Amino acid sequence: MSWFRAASLVQSPGEERDVFDEEADESALVQREWRSHMQRRVQEGYRDGIDAGKAVTLQQGFNQGYKEGAEVIINYGQLRGTLSALLSWCHLHDNSSALISKINNLLDAVGQCEEYVLRHLKSITPQPHVVDLLDSIQDMDLCHIAPAEEKIDEAKDERFYENNADFNKNCSKNLSGVDCSSLKCCRTQEHAHSENPSLTWILEQTASLVKQLGVPVDILQHLKQL
Amino acid sequence: MFDAIVMVDERFHGEGYQEGYEEGSSLGMIEGKQYGTFHGAKIGSEIGCYQGLAFARRCLLHGSATEKDSKKMKVLESFIGMIQKFPYADPTYDKLHEDLDRIRGKFKQLCSLLNVQPDFKISAEGSRLSY
Repeated sequence: MSWFRAASLVQSPGEERDVFDEEADESALVQREWRSHMQRRVQEGYRDGIDAGKAVTLQQGFNQGYKEGAEVIINYGQLRGTLSALLSWCHLHDNSSALISKINNLLDAVGQCEEYVLRHLKSITPQPHVVDLLDSIQDMDLCHIAPAEEKIDEAKDERFYENNADFNKNCSKNLSGVDCSSLKCCRTQEHAHSENPSLTWILEQTASLVKQLGVPVDILQHLKQL
Repeated sequence: MFDAIVMVDERFHGEGYQEGYEEGSSLGMIEGKQYGTFHGAKIGSEIGCYQGLAFARRCLLHGSATEKDSKKMKVLESFIGMIQKFPYADPTYDKLHEDLDRIRGKFKQLCSLLNVQPDFKISAEGSRLSY
């Protein structure tokens, strides 16, 4: 794009010629036409490029996100399945309704946790607004600013990504801190962990429930990797 | 002369193309990841739930030796075998839908055998993947 700007700058002195010179007027008109034609070509190329670039990385991004989503969320699914099994066992053995409602509460809590984590997994990537921004900048003929903006956005993306990665690690693997204090670095989490029960808490509650029910503790063995 | 004009035309197009390509690549990555995360999480949630349920059930059934229970155990074991073999985190697995349908079918069979209602917030129907 800078190349294009330079080219048009070189041509511009032509416009300063005598306004009564008919020949000069005509050449200025031709130049303007030529310039707008070039600009159109650049924009056409840009759109073609966007499509081609997207086509290449869309599947790659999908695969990456898919793997990540599946691997994080499966833990919550396992916990939910285990609690469901306990629930039906309770129904079968006519356990007290207090225990049953406790299991139901825990199931709700897992659901909340899962939803919350999923929301954050998805917010790793901000809305695709960069192209709109660039397009409007281009329309305003401020192309020199565009690359700088782009860089800032990319830097931001990376930062959010890192934070979220940290958050995932902490929430799904590190069970030592109940309140997940490292969450604070994340964007929208200021009030989040007061609303959302942590996975550690749910696990602890489930373990005590298993003891109360008198079923083998082995039942939670497959949740160890949580 | 004509050649030169065409070349310039190409050159401008190429210049825009390159810029667009870079932009499009990062956009595609972002968009793809968003869709991917959503679908991956859906599968992970469903398969995880099956795993949790099946392992817990097996544990609860263990030690019981009645004939009825041994049939349950058999179906349960085969169900566990299916979900353990299922590469849930691999979106490139070409038999994903086929296997998932088989797992869901087996799960229904297991539910009726164990006499449980599969109502734990899995929308098995309608959660067919499309990408």
